[in-house]
Amino acid sequence: MLKAAHSLGIVFFPAFDWALSPTHPEREERLLYTQDQLEEEGVFDIEGIAEVKPLVADVADVERVHFTFPETELVTTRSHLVAAGGAMRAAQLVLSGARDKAFALVRPPGHHAMKSVHGTRGFCAINNEAIMIEHVRETHGARRIAVVDTDCHHGDGTQDIYWHDPDVLFISLHQDGRTLYPGTGFPAECGGPKARGRTINIPLPPQTGDEGFLMVIERVVRPILDDFKPELVINSAGQDNHFTDPITDMNVTARGYGRLNELLNPDIAVLEGGYSIQGALPYVNLAIVLAMAGLDYSGVVEPDLEPARVRQSNRTTEYVKRLCGELPRLYFNPPPDTSLTRENGYFVRRKEIFYDTDNIRETQMEFLRDCEHCPGFLRLETRSNRVPLSLGIEAPVGVCGACAEEARRQFEDAQLKGGFRYAQLIDRVNKIYQRIGF
Amino acid sequence: MQWGMLLGIDVGGTHTDAVVIDESGIAASCKVPTEHGNLLASVESVIDCVCRQVPAAEIERLNLSTTLTTNAIVEGKTEEVGVLAVGGPGIDPTDFMLCRHFHALSGAIDHRGQLIRPMKESELAAAVAACRKDGIRAYAAVSKFSPRNPGMENRMAEVIGEAADVVTRGHALTGRLNFPRRLATAYFNSAIWRLFNDFADAVGKSLRRLGLSAARVNILKADGGTMPLSMAREMPVESILSGPAASIMGIISMCDIVHDSIILDIGGTTTDIAIFAKGAPLMEPDGIAIGSHPTLVRSLLTRSIGVGGDSALSVLAEEVRVGPQRPGPAMAAGGGHPTLIDACNHLGLAGHGDIARSRAGIERFAADHSLKPEELAQRAVDAAVGRIRDEVRAMVKEVNERPVYTIHELLEGRRIVPSKIYIMGGPAEVLKMPIFKAFSLSVSVPQSYAVANAVGAALTRTTRSVELFADTEQLRLHIPTLGVSRVIEPDYDLEAARRDAARSLLSFMRAEGVPSREENVEITQASSFNMVEGGRLVGRNIRVKCQIRPGILHRYKELLGRLC
Repeated sequence: MLKAAHSLGIVFFPAFDWALSPTHPEREERLLYTQDQLEEEGVFDIEGIAEVKPLVADVADVERVHFTFPETELVTTRSHLVAAGGAMRAAQLVLSGARDKAFALVRPPGHHAMKSVHGTRGFCAINNEAIMIEHVRETHGARRIAVVDTDCHHGDGTQDIYWHDPDVLFISLHQDGRTLYPGTGFPAECGGPKARGRTINIPLPPQTGDEGFLMVIERVVRPILDDFKPELVINSAGQDNHFTDPITDMNVTARGYGRLNELLNPDIAVLEGGYSIQGALPYVNLAIVLAMAGLDYSGVVEPDLEPARVRQSNRTTEYVKRLCGELPRLYFNPPPDTSLTRENGYFVRRKEIFYDTDNIRETQMEFLRDCEHCPGFLRLETRSNRVPLSLGIEAPVGVCGACAEEARRQFEDAQLKGGFRYAQLIDRVNKIYQRIGF
Repeated sequence: MQWGMLLGIDVGGTHTDAVVIDESGIAASCKVPTEHGNLLASVESVIDCVCRQVPAAEIERLNLSTTLTTNAIVEGKTEEVGVLAVGGPGIDPTDFMLCRHFHALSGAIDHRGQLIRPMKESELAAAVAACRKDGIRAYAAVSKFSPRNPGMENRMAEVIGEAADVVTRGHALTGRLNFPRRLATAYFNSAIWRLFNDFADAVGKSLRRLGLSAARVNILKADGGTMPLSMAREMPVESILSGPAASIMGIISMCDIVHDSIILDIGGTTTDIAIFAKGAPLMEPDGIAIGSHPTLVRSLLTRSIGVGGDSALSVLAEEVRVGPQRPGPAMAAGGGHPTLIDACNHLGLAGHGDIARSRAGIERFAADHSLKPEELAQRAVDAAVGRIRDEVRAMVKEVNERPVYTIHELLEGRRIVPSKIYIMGGPAEVLKMPIFKAFSLSVSVPQSYAVANAVGAALTRTTRSVELFADTEQLRLHIPTLGVSRVIEPDYDLEAARRDAARSLLSFMRAEGVPSREENVEITQASSFNMVEGGRLVGRNIRVKCQIRPGILHRYKELLGRLC
């Protein structure tokens, strides 16, 4: 009988009654064949592997992370709250010691959801990993966390949420943004002024195969993780680098994913994208499950795999080698941000955000207090074609008392003076969460 | 209206029970010790006994629950089986090697039932030749995803052909997925096939000799239903571990259970626990395990803990415990060590056997541990009832935490909240009050609990479940266990699938000579998924599961509640 070397909890929630629209890639059928494969393999009978029901995130869990406009209930559906709750359950399994590792096989994904949410972009409305991480920080005290995003698309939402957080290391491997949505994720994007080198982007050329991915994990990701020494390693496990994925152009195999997971050795994996639902997902998910449990995944070979067709070119190998040589310094010796604007004691950024799924254009002015004692509090002024000028203020985990107080004062000031349709305060220091305007 | 009588026999580990039931209730009952090495003798002697109370010729049906196959497996008295397994992508089938003659063959079928790599005929021929050479006559043929495409299993059976007395094909046993369980189920089916069939022949002879040649014979299954002997001869594996189910069906036939309830069968050494949701017994999610081998044999959900009337008392670090050891009978029955029953005798809850011996035993044991006798006895009863309560709570929690796959079920799904407890078994009456106090729930002890198992066996109806799988892109429909595989139209839909599953099941049962009522057919799962390729709808993937649910024979419904 098989026995897992690491005990593993699988939060499997395929949401068989929910779709973005009937023929959308994010539809009922997405995890159907994955379920068939896992059932047929008898995965849940393996000693040490258990299937677990998700939690349901509540509005407070969302509003600990996101500024939501006009309100959380209008930008999420129940399925979003279940997906986020699935990730929370995975973290709970690991942190309580009930399981060595956990895999949240949930949908819809979340890694394109940014700090401010006006609607759905890249199939994501709220960020499952961020909601999980902040839940963990609030309830279990763990603070130093690494997120390695192996989805084929740049994890721009997670990057945005943790841009200024020096305690969360975010590493994204993805198909080069010049060739794929969302068009970002270049090495120059390497974290805000107070968290320089805590965001690492690794854009890979189209048709990169197992060899390139594993090289990046071994030569870039592993050394950075070993230095950062996080309390938890989280894998945003998108499965669209697979050679059969219909909307991307990479050449990774199920066994490649298994090996990647083995090298990365995450405590928690959360499913992100991946829409080759018959040719890839059943096999990639099985390989990840087996790898996380410390079992042999070498037999997980896709029926239509032709090794010659997925082998990456020498040119790609050379390019990836060069990247591997250059990228580690972004973490170990990050360059200063030359594009930075500093006004009246605040770092200021202007951002334009497009929500492809909902066709929303958002404009943000972001102010980060330049505090000498802490990473500073955040003030976000945002408007879109759906929501009039609104305000979000956050005093994140780890800011000083003065910053937390100033954040609160500015929130009260906004209520008195008006000018904002909606305003939301996230005060993690004093655990005060408020919103006004509805 | 006059019906024939029903005979129910439960061959248990220690006793063999029999009852004869007519429309007025229990017409005869008997209990004989089980002769472990000769189950047929136990069956004959109990039939002999009831036939002294009622005319044999009026017995129209015999429902038999036996430990024959379970014992054979536990004791390793099974036949050598040649197992032919086709894996495909994923976990290596040799990880599930069940026996010496295990041959993994190459070839693969995918999750949609598409043939992705044909089986190698040369490997198949070599495997069969190797088994033949070793004199193997029983085979199991199993491929991954065979319920979606039985082609390979059928081909293996064809090639084995005359070399075998039995070939169990995985898909013929069940349409549910789980390759390792299907392998184990098919293996055990072949391993006990000959033993069961010999037993069936012998039972037939005995019945003729005892004047019951007119009686139809059914065999009890772990799911609480029966199967006709003809079906049992093909799938004897379904007869394993039917004992607890017989008792549970006994409670159903005696009491009109309508609420979420707990059933406790408290015996000498163990307590079996079952849960009812809205009056229907809960099933194991996948199937029962034989030893360390999980199978796909459908079964009622039961848990057994080592607490019973004869469980020994012990004191460890000032904690009074009950069970799981059972060094012998209670002191009241001449044993040497105080047990739960002795504690009950001491407290005046029970009046079993020699009460003075119980009292003396409890007093001596209490003195040995510097406890007052009343305190020891009370703490023992509390410990026993506490363990039962903890186990019941854990079980209910586990059921309520079972995974679900739709948002609707997750957010609006029903939770089990037990509101009533039914107790049967020897110490049932005695432990009624302590259990009432521990659970604060209404507790009932049916009158004829001592023969509940045999009553359950007698009155339970024939059950069967089928799974239908349709793919409107491939234009194919399969009902694996009924051997149905046919072409469908592109507009085939969920409604049609529900209807076809129910109709196929009913007509199969009627063809087997089992009158089955449409109202007892229950669709347990029905889903239809749009299959989309390149943003275009290409078909529907439809899955329906339906069953004739376990319950008591319709014409005895009037007995409900009268024996409770």
